[in-house]
Amino acid sequence: MDRIRAEINNDRRAFIKKVLNGTIAGSLLLVIPAGASEVAEQLSGMRAEQSIFTKKRFAFIVDVTRCIGCGSCCVADKLEYNVPDGNYRTWVERYIIDDEDNVYVDSPDGGLGGYVEPRKDIPHPVRDTFFVPKLCNMCKKPSCVQVCPVGATFQTEDGFVLIDKERCVGCGYCIQACPYSVRFLNPETKTADKCTWCYHRVRKGLLPACVNVCPVGARKFGDLDDHESEVYKILHLPHVVSVLKPGMGNKPALHYVGLRREVV
Amino acid sequence: MSPESGGAAAAVMNYVFPNDLHVHWSLMIVLYPYITGIVAGAFIVSSLYHVFDVKALKPISKFSLLFALAFLLCATIPLLNHLGHPERAMSMMLTPSPSSAMAGFGYIYSAYMVVLILEILFIYRPVVVGLKQRASGLMRLIYGFLSMGSDNVSQKSLDLDHRIINFLAGLGIPMACVLHGYVGFIFGGVKANPLWATPLMPVIFLLSACVSGIAGIILAYYVIMKFRGSPIDLDCVRACVKFLWGFFILDFVFEMLEIFSHGYMSTHHWHTLESLLWGPLFNSFWIAQVLIFSVIPFIILTWLNLFKVGDKIIHIFAPLISFMIVIQVLLMRWNVVIGGQLMSKSERGSVFFHPEWLEKEGILPAIIIMLLPLVILYGLGKIFPFSLEKKPETASD
Amino acid sequence: MGDNHNTHVKWVVGFLTMAAILGLIVKKVLVPEGFGTYGHYRAGAILDEFNRETRHMTNDSCLSCHPFIKEMHLEGIHRTVSCEFCHGPYGDHIRNGKKVATLPVKKGEEITALCLRCHNQIIRARPKESIKMITMPDHLENKKVQTDHNCDQCHNVHAPLMYVKQAREMMHMSSREDK
Repeated sequence: MDRIRAEINNDRRAFIKKVLNGTIAGSLLLVIPAGASEVAEQLSGMRAEQSIFTKKRFAFIVDVTRCIGCGSCCVADKLEYNVPDGNYRTWVERYIIDDEDNVYVDSPDGGLGGYVEPRKDIPHPVRDTFFVPKLCNMCKKPSCVQVCPVGATFQTEDGFVLIDKERCVGCGYCIQACPYSVRFLNPETKTADKCTWCYHRVRKGLLPACVNVCPVGARKFGDLDDHESEVYKILHLPHVVSVLKPGMGNKPALHYVGLRREVV
Repeated sequence: MSPESGGAAAAVMNYVFPNDLHVHWSLMIVLYPYITGIVAGAFIVSSLYHVFDVKALKPISKFSLLFALAFLLCATIPLLNHLGHPERAMSMMLTPSPSSAMAGFGYIYSAYMVVLILEILFIYRPVVVGLKQRASGLMRLIYGFLSMGSDNVSQKSLDLDHRIINFLAGLGIPMACVLHGYVGFIFGGVKANPLWATPLMPVIFLLSACVSGIAGIILAYYVIMKFRGSPIDLDCVRACVKFLWGFFILDFVFEMLEIFSHGYMSTHHWHTLESLLWGPLFNSFWIAQVLIFSVIPFIILTWLNLFKVGDKIIHIFAPLISFMIVIQVLLMRWNVVIGGQLMSKSERGSVFFHPEWLEKEGILPAIIIMLLPLVILYGLGKIFPFSLEKKPETASD
Repeated sequence: MGDNHNTHVKWVVGFLTMAAILGLIVKKVLVPEGFGTYGHYRAGAILDEFNRETRHMTNDSCLSCHPFIKEMHLEGIHRTVSCEFCHGPYGDHIRNGKKVATLPVKKGEEITALCLRCHNQIIRARPKESIKMITMPDHLENKKVQTDHNCDQCHNVHAPLMYVKQAREMMHMSSREDK
């Protein structure tokens, strides 16, 4: 360890190069100051993760039965990433089902302003209403990665689908290929952009920004190898759990508790 | 109920995912398959003469290659104009992803460009050598380069050229098919889009490519001959019209078959398409593409080919039909490329799209890009004589 | 002069070979460093994403400097509400451990609007077990206060029931909300 540290201090750039080229086992966190070290870890053991890929198995679960549609997550996400107006890394949909089985969905400005007014255009008595937060599904078989012509969108070994802003050509093929429409062309960088499950926060031991602000625990994030974690318990005990558009074959890692058939 | 509009997409019906308000692939991506289609089609016309020995097409056999080249040189322009980072376009060649349908374009395009240019150079070599002898200064230098460093036009040399030309023309057919079938696959392979995701897409693209190429050549032939005041070779036009009819039958049948079989099976898939075809796409698909620019030319083409019609009628209808079919294919590209994006992946709504005139990917840039190949063609004509006229046989033929 | 009937073919083959070799060299030179180390992507992209600025912190990080608020906030039913949702991200307030700006404190009607993002009964989509719901202005009328009152005139935004409980204690009333 001391030898590595000495090597870093000796020539930082050269060391980073070696990590990236895989000539030495990566020790990213030694190279990069964590930045968040003054704050207690929300994801235990993350700051001790030394290699370029963590050894953890992350899961993101949205509990539809808990979401109150306040839009905190949308606000936090927009501010965390300075997302340009009209584009959404995450959003919240409102579903209304009337007693004739008609489904009405809306998501004005992605739910950023919360839901302050009831819908007034429903002709029949309402049977049920609920909210569904949407974000990147972090597919195990991501079609965006498959179609990216230059390898600017990729999947890390610990399951994150990320975008290389420096190499994205802005062709938009990934946007067409994503069955969940979570991608957009960032009008400022002119590159594809999407939710990353807050990779930069997670690697520093923090929860994704949306999970962190959710007041009712509708968004949950954790390590499946941690058998005390909420996500482990949900996915390993009987729950009504499913994924979006399973027919697409993308095998999303994002799971929903209490998801209804009406949700697309 | 309707979220605010984004870009040129507006008037949302029902629920559209918030990120689906933008139509990312607009006019430029309509032009891209349109241009590559014309290239592939024009090449097929030349191959009909060079490989399949359709003698009647001789007057346009060389011209169609130059026509193809002029368009091929412009095929990447709409793409570059579309990219968020055109300066990174070479990444497609540097680090092409083996899993991406789009990544192959750089190599397929380059390989096809090489084959096409080589075929033109070999076919034109005797002509170029002749022109070189008469030229001076810069032109002599250009012709020297284009003659590939050899003035040898001995029979032995020409026989070798002939074998190479046959090989290149033969190789060019599958390559033209790959180039354009592949463009169809770029769309047909997008599983998330119910309008695009069909194995028929490459077939339809290929057939419409042949159709647009033949029609484009007929149109250009008429325009150039009228402009030059030269007589039009009717046998050639009649042969073209016959091929146009044949390819258009296949093209139109497959286009309709695709819609019909989905409609007949009426799965969930169809209900999504239905709301698109009878919604935002109704006018541009049913009225324009199908009714006006497919059914009418189809009927006229059938009449021209099945009945003995006079020369005058051919002279009127051949360019008219060709024009209509060139528009049909453009409409088809529009309806596929734009249409597919008007349906939200929410499966619950669609948007309308109206292109702007002056924006980066607007109508004016589109017109300029479509005129560019014609300018290039004019320039190519200054170097390589089109040899459209039925002249007494020269050494070059 | 020897047999030169195929010079041009040799010329073409030579030209294409040269172009291919040149292409390979260019490719070798221009492919970015670290590309392909872990997969078909630039390894440095992981670092870029890692290094993205963290703008939101946690309630702990806010409350560590605001002990008075901490006491109220953690006692009350709003302890699950994020400081940064109402006040804005930590990154706008602290940079490199130093205060760079003051975060806004919502006032008056802004507060009512914020409260109603969660507590508005009329939306109907909210699970009853998770939070309390009210309808405006019925709630104000039921509680016999003026209908132009803002929420924070009765409820401490950090601990909504604090004043209510205190008032009840003063009046020696038993309280439903205690349970």
